[in-house]
Amino acid sequence: MKVQPRQQLLEVWRGMVGYSFSDTGWKWGGRQARNSVSDAEQLVCLMYPATVLPTFKLDQPDQTANDVLVALDFMGDSVEIPKRLIRVLAEYMDTYSSPGGSPTFGAGSYLEPQQADAELSEEQRNLAVVDSYSMSITLTLATLGFIKVFRGVLRRKQLRDEVDALEETTSRRLTGAMIGLLRSFAVRTFEPGSDAGQAMCRTANQTGEPTRRIVEELHRALVEIRAGLLDVTLGSGGADVLDNENLLFECGWSWGTIKGALEVKTDEQIDQPDGVSPSRPYLYFTVVALDGIADLFSERTRILGLLNPEQQNLARALQLRWDLTQRYWSTLASFGTGRWPLEDIPWRTTDGKESDYYSLLVTSATVEDLVRRRATDADLTRVGEVLDELAARGRITRRPLMDDPAVAMHVTGVRLNLDGAEELGPAADWPASDYAAVLLKRTLRVAGLARSTELRDRLLGLADEAWSHLQGRRLETVSMGTLWDQPGQVFPDVEIRHDLPSWYYTQRVVECLVAAAAFADDPPLRSARLLDTARDLLNEADHLFGRELLVGSQEAGPAIRANLRRIEGKLARARAALRERPGSAMALALDVLAELEDLTAARADADRTI
Amino acid sequence: MIILSTSDKGGTGRSVTSCNLAYRRALQGSDVAYLDFDFGSPTAGAILSVSGAERGTTSGAGLHHYLQDRVAEPEQIDVWSASEREGLRGRPMGAGRLVLVPGDQGGGEFPVGTEMVDRCIQLFLSMEAEFELVLVDLSAGRSQAADLILSATAARQLQAITVRWLVFHRWTRQHIIAASGLVFGERGLIEAGTERGHDRADLENSIRFVRTAVLDLSSPEMAGLRPPQAAWLQSCNRELQELATKTKLGRTTMLGSIPLDPVLQWREQLISDNDVVFSQIANPQTSQAYEDLAKRLVHDEAWMSL
Repeated sequence: MKVQPRQQLLEVWRGMVGYSFSDTGWKWGGRQARNSVSDAEQLVCLMYPATVLPTFKLDQPDQTANDVLVALDFMGDSVEIPKRLIRVLAEYMDTYSSPGGSPTFGAGSYLEPQQADAELSEEQRNLAVVDSYSMSITLTLATLGFIKVFRGVLRRKQLRDEVDALEETTSRRLTGAMIGLLRSFAVRTFEPGSDAGQAMCRTANQTGEPTRRIVEELHRALVEIRAGLLDVTLGSGGADVLDNENLLFECGWSWGTIKGALEVKTDEQIDQPDGVSPSRPYLYFTVVALDGIADLFSERTRILGLLNPEQQNLARALQLRWDLTQRYWSTLASFGTGRWPLEDIPWRTTDGKESDYYSLLVTSATVEDLVRRRATDADLTRVGEVLDELAARGRITRRPLMDDPAVAMHVTGVRLNLDGAEELGPAADWPASDYAAVLLKRTLRVAGLARSTELRDRLLGLADEAWSHLQGRRLETVSMGTLWDQPGQVFPDVEIRHDLPSWYYTQRVVECLVAAAAFADDPPLRSARLLDTARDLLNEADHLFGRELLVGSQEAGPAIRANLRRIEGKLARARAALRERPGSAMALALDVLAELEDLTAARADADRTI
Repeated sequence: MIILSTSDKGGTGRSVTSCNLAYRRALQGSDVAYLDFDFGSPTAGAILSVSGAERGTTSGAGLHHYLQDRVAEPEQIDVWSASEREGLRGRPMGAGRLVLVPGDQGGGEFPVGTEMVDRCIQLFLSMEAEFELVLVDLSAGRSQAADLILSATAARQLQAITVRWLVFHRWTRQHIIAASGLVFGERGLIEAGTERGHDRADLENSIRFVRTAVLDLSSPEMAGLRPPQAAWLQSCNRELQELATKTKLGRTTMLGSIPLDPVLQWREQLISDNDVVFSQIANPQTSQAYEDLAKRLVHDEAWMSL
C-alpha cells in the first residue's frame, strides 16, 4: 500500500494546526466562510484520528506519542494541547447554539444559488442540512469520548468545570443531531407507471423481463423492508404512505428536515424547527447519514458508554432506519439474476438524473451491507470491478479528454438541487465534489473484506492509484503540513487555483487515511498456498537439522555449536510465526536450509578430496 | 523562589544538572544561589570548578557548621570570580549573580533538632530575600536533610515563598520505580511532608520530575544502531512510558528531560555555550535542554496541574 497513514495524518495535523492555531485564537473557515458543517469538519480532522486510532490519542497527556507532539508543537506540549482543544470545542458548541441553548445546524456558505447571480436569503443559509447532523454526530461522539478519558487526569476544579460544561453542550448537540436525522428520514412511494416508477423498473430490469414481472419481483424482494418501515414512527417517514402495497417505494435521507415532520418527544428541551425538504431520499445525503449513524453504534461508543438513556432510544430508532436503508439500496443494487443494476453505470435516480457519482454512492450504501452479509469474494469482485470502472470514468486512473465532463465532477461537483429551499428564496444547490475521496474510502473498505490475495491485491492497486491522484491534489499554498484540495494540479484544463484549504475535502481525506490505518493494523491475509509451502519448507529444515545433530556435529567445536544454536532459535521462531505470518516463517526456514546446506557442501568436499 | 533538588538513587546526575540549571538561570539574568545540602558528599564546588571547595569548603563556615550553630553566617562564594574554569570566570553581560553556598569538607550527616529547623528557616528567608532563585541540592534518598527541609518549608514564616521540588531520575525501570517511591511511596516525601503540616495536594503539585541521561532515539548519534537494536529500544521506551504513567511520572509531572551526553558520562561539569559552539565537545541538544528546563523552572504555566 502506498498510503502511509500515520505520516500523512501527522502532516494533515501539522497543516491544520499551522493554519488554524495562533495566539490570538482559532481561525475558522477556509475556502468557504465558516458554517456549522465546515467548522465541524475542521475539528473532525483532528478529533477523529485522535479518538479512533490509539496511537494518535491526545486525551492522556502522559501517553501522547512523540511524533504527534512534534506535529502539533504549535499548540504547545502534551498538557497544553488537550486544554486548548477543550476551549476550541467549547467555542464551536457555543457558536452553533441558539440563544435558548438549542444546537443549530445551518449550512451557511455551503449552499449555493442555482443561478449564479442570485442571492440566498438569510433563512436559507440557516437551513439545517443532513451533512451538518451527520458531521455533528461524529464530532460530538469524538468529543464525548475525549472528555471521558481526559477528565480522569484532571484535578483542578476550574478545568473540571470547563470540561463539564463542554460535555453538557456536546451531549445536547448530539441529541439535536439525532433528532435532526430522525426528522429528515424520507420514504417516498410512487405508482409503477409513474415516471419515477418507470425509472426504477428500468434500473432494476437488467435482463429484459416484462415490466409487470419486475414490479412483482421488486415487491417480493422488498417485502421485509416494507414491513420494517411500517414500524418507523418517530420523526419523519411515517408508515402511512406504505399502506398501498401496489406502490413502489424508496427510502433514505432527504437533504434536511422534511416539511411537516413530527416533533420527536424528548425530556431535553431542544428546538425542532420546521423544515422544507421534500420527503424524497437523496443518494448523497443518504450515504452521509449512514456514515454518521454508524458511529452511534460503534464498539467505541458502546464501550465508553457515550450515550445517555434518551440518546440510546434515539440511536435505536436510527439504527432501524440505518438497517432498512442499507438493505434497501443493497437489494436494489444487486437486484435480479443477470447483471446487477449497480454494474449498469451510470446509475439513474428515480427523478431521471444520471451520474457516475450516483453509482459511487449506491456502491457506498451497498458496501456496508456486504459487511453485514459476509459477502463472498465473488460478490466483492463485482463491486471491485464497479469501483475500478468508476475510477476510470471519473478520470482518476485515466487521463481526461479535452473538455471532459467528468472533470467538473471534481471541481464544481455534482450539483444537487435542494428542492423546497426555494420556498424561502431563490433555488439552492448543494455541490458534492468528493468523488475521489469517496472512491478511495470505499475501495479500502472492500479491500479489507476481501479474503483472497488476488482480489485484495487488485483493490489495493486501485487504492494506490486513487491515493496518487489525491496526493496530486494537495494544496501547495499552505505554509506547512498538507491540506486539500487543488484539483487544478491533476486536471490541466482546470484554471481555478485556490489559496485556502477546503475542510470539506480535507476531512474526507482524513477519513480515508483513518480507514487505511485501520486496514494496515489488521493482520495480513494468510494464503493457504503460502502456508502449505512454508510448512513444507519448515519440515525439511527441521528434518535436516535433526540429521545434523545426529551426525554429532556439536562435537566439531565452538564455531559450529554456536551456529547450531542459532539455527535452533530460528526454527523455533519460524514455528511460532507459521500460522500468523507464513511468509516470515518461510524466510526463516530458507535461511536455515541455506546454512545447513553450507555444512553439507563442506562435508561433501571433504569426502571428495580423500 | 526556592527549588529543592533530590533523587532516590545516586548517580542520577542530580548535582550536575542542578549546577547547570543554576548556571543557565544566572545567564538568563536571575540572581541565583546554590546551596549544597548534599551533606554526605558535597560536590558542587568541583562541578563549578571552585578551588578550595571541591569537596566542601575548608574554611569552617560551610552549611554543616551553620546549621549546627557553629558559625553565624554560611560562607558565600561568587562563582563568576572564584571559578577556575576559563570560560566561567567573569560575569557575562546581562547575567545575574551566581553564588555557591558550600557544605563543609568531611561534614557528614547529622541528627536534626528543632533549633536546626529554625536556623534552616532563617537561612531560607535571608537567601530568598537576597536572591531570585535559591537552588538547594539535597543528597540522594530520604535523607536527614530532606526531613529538615520538609519541616522548615512547612513553617508559617515560609508560606509566602514559592517552594518547588525537582526529583531527578534516570530513564530506566529501576530508577522510575525508585523515584516514584521516593515521592509517593510509604514514608515518601508526600507522606512525610503531610505529617509535618504540608497540604497534600499543594505539596504534590509542587513536585516535578526531571529525566536525566535519556537516549534520544531520533538523534543523529543513534544512526549507528543496528535496526533490531533500534526496534528493541523503541519498544523498551514505550514500556517505560507506560510504567512512568502508572507510577505518576508521566509527561504531566515531568518538567524536563536531559539527553545523554558523552561529556557528562565521564566528567561532571557545567556545559557552557563555548563547549557547544567552539570546542564542540558537548551536544547542542544538551545545552538546549538545560536552557529550556531553566526557563520552565520559573514558568508558572509549567507548574500548573491539570
